[in-house]
Amino acid sequence: MSEDRARILNMLAEGKITAEEAEQLLDALETRTAPAAPAAGPAIKGDPGPLIAALPKYLYVKVISDNGDNVDVKVPLALVRSGLKLTSLIPPQAMDQLNDSMSEHGMSIDFNNLKPEDIDELIEALREMEINVNAANGDNVRVYCA
Amino acid sequence: MKLWPWLLDLTFGSPERERPVHLWLPLFLVWPLMVLVALLAFVVTLPVDAVLLLVGRPYHHYTALVYRTFALFSELRGMVVRVKDDETKTLIDMTVY
Repeated sequence: MSEDRARILNMLAEGKITAEEAEQLLDALETRTAPAAPAAGPAIKGDPGPLIAALPKYLYVKVISDNGDNVDVKVPLALVRSGLKLTSLIPPQAMDQLNDSMSEHGMSIDFNNLKPEDIDELIEALREMEINVNAANGDNVRVYCA
Repeated sequence: MKLWPWLLDLTFGSPERERPVHLWLPLFLVWPLMVLVALLAFVVTLPVDAVLLLVGRPYHHYTALVYRTFALFSELRGMVVRVKDDETKTLIDMTVY
């Protein structure tokens, strides 16, 4: 089973999309993967609005601790996407300085390698991400998209 | 490009204050200033990009950089930041509309 197909079936199982929407997505996937298939129109028939609405839109970061510290952050994924796309427009000289500064602070991320197509893939992967940390002292950290 | 944020709902409390302060900041009042700044920036970046393109320099995207920066600001809508400390009675609550 391909990764995309598994993702669609997962979304169906989690109730994020209806069976009809899943069928449309699977059809679209088959159309996309079919060899030399002629482009005879849009891959998804009908109104794509409900499908888009079913996709996660926000990145949530929640921290709840036993001593009463609570942090709740909700970041639009569109902001993450735009921010990452902005990095591809930073002038090369500034980008080199940025990379040097990042590596000095222990973060060896080369933003020159971040291509627009990778950004879309990264955001897609982010949608599937979920982090749950339950510390022994009662602190609870949760990062997820919804 | 989407509409820029038009309202900032800000609540903050500290141990010194008995009740938290709640503010609604009308960000739409800053829009004309931002449009002005954007126009001034484009006046500079467009000729610079044109010259860089004509000279054959590989990087000539300053206009796109400025445009994307302003577009990034519009994506702030819907962002929520809440920090609450029951022990010290500190509260920061920020929602961008």
